[in-house]
Amino acid sequence: MVSPLAEGALLLASLLVPFVLLLLAFPPYLRYLTRLGRVSEDVHKSPPAKVPEPAGPLLFAAVLVGEGVVALGFGSLFPAALVLGGAVAFAVGLYDDLFVLGGKAKPLLLVLAGVAFVSLVGAGVHLYGSDIYFPILGDTAPHFIIYTILVVAAFPVVTNAFNMMDAFNGEISWFTLLTSLALAVGVALRELFTQGFSPARLASALPLVGVSAAFLLYNRYPSRSFDGDSGSLMFGAMFAGLAVVGGIEVAAIIAIVPAILNSFYTLSSVRGFVERRKMSSRPTYVGEDGLLHASTAKDAPNTLVRLILLASPSTEEGLVASIVALTVVSCAFSIAISFLTWVF
Amino acid sequence: MKLLPLFLIESVAFLLIIAETYVFFIFVAPLTPLGLPHDLSGYTALALAKAALILGLVVVWFVVLDGLTAFYVRSKVGKTPRPAS
Repeated sequence: MVSPLAEGALLLASLLVPFVLLLLAFPPYLRYLTRLGRVSEDVHKSPPAKVPEPAGPLLFAAVLVGEGVVALGFGSLFPAALVLGGAVAFAVGLYDDLFVLGGKAKPLLLVLAGVAFVSLVGAGVHLYGSDIYFPILGDTAPHFIIYTILVVAAFPVVTNAFNMMDAFNGEISWFTLLTSLALAVGVALRELFTQGFSPARLASALPLVGVSAAFLLYNRYPSRSFDGDSGSLMFGAMFAGLAVVGGIEVAAIIAIVPAILNSFYTLSSVRGFVERRKMSSRPTYVGEDGLLHASTAKDAPNTLVRLILLASPSTEEGLVASIVALTVVSCAFSIAISFLTWVF
Repeated sequence: MKLLPLFLIESVAFLLIIAETYVFFIFVAPLTPLGLPHDLSGYTALALAKAALILGLVVVWFVVLDGLTAFYVRSKVGKTPRPAS
């Protein structure tokens, strides 16, 4: 049993330790990547800038430390399950960063992240209740098998959705920060208004907030670092796991609606899983005016970015501001859903 | 204001997700087979019926969102100047 004061200190530590660690570790890590020659072209700049990539290994290390603080402080196994799922997604992403995976292989391998996450349930750890809570309407009856299948299936969907939100400076870091904040608020509301709900669940959600906040400082326009697939897939896996551990699945889905729509547009317009480097036509292009434009080609795949740019051409900063605005709205809906579910 | 149509599409998407998840867990998941308790064909029919109902929910989401997006794209592409090639 942890005293309220120690509990507050642990919650603060689970947020701040990975945040400060990343701030300290980023400069030498970026110098190291540059020395190794691991830099990518920022294609939306003219001339293209060279940006160190992938920051994923450092981001995952910071998540590990944050979740370690939670595991040791609360004596909880929730962080272990989250880290298992995150580690598999990170490994798949790192392989993709170094050698490039096929469009179909990646989602198939990411099922393993879901399997790794639920494996602790098989070992007797109570990770989740299989009933789902809805605002005002209350909860459903438990459906353990169906729920577990959906959890495993959710990992490739959510991780890919996060991965597809990683195209412009600051896009993935803003998106992860806002959605993980909405998730943490939802879990906090559940903890405040539910008897016997473990504070370790809330603490488990905070390292992702700290990591994405620190990463934003290096990833925002003009980016000094890209996360690579190892970072974006790991962010997605952590988010999916936290939604389940926190028991706020509906609110979590609502928070990431912009990413779900983005994936849906891509899948429905290219008719399947296609690696973005192999798309026949680009959804957007940089015009002679230096602005990003939506492609008007008939075979141009629909993406969220194309739909935004169809309204008007934009600078990269303006475009990311629009995506952030859409995410803020979805996160506000998500917090409202959490409020209606747990407070009323 | 230029994002208003996308905010509306986003809202429709999230309302459909909540409604369909509720329908799934309240009505589809608890369905029990008709007939005798040990009748295996009843369980097979039930599994197929559940799969069909889930697919139906997914199709509804896709059709509604696809329709809204196609309407939005058509309304914008006509106004967007084509790039000089």
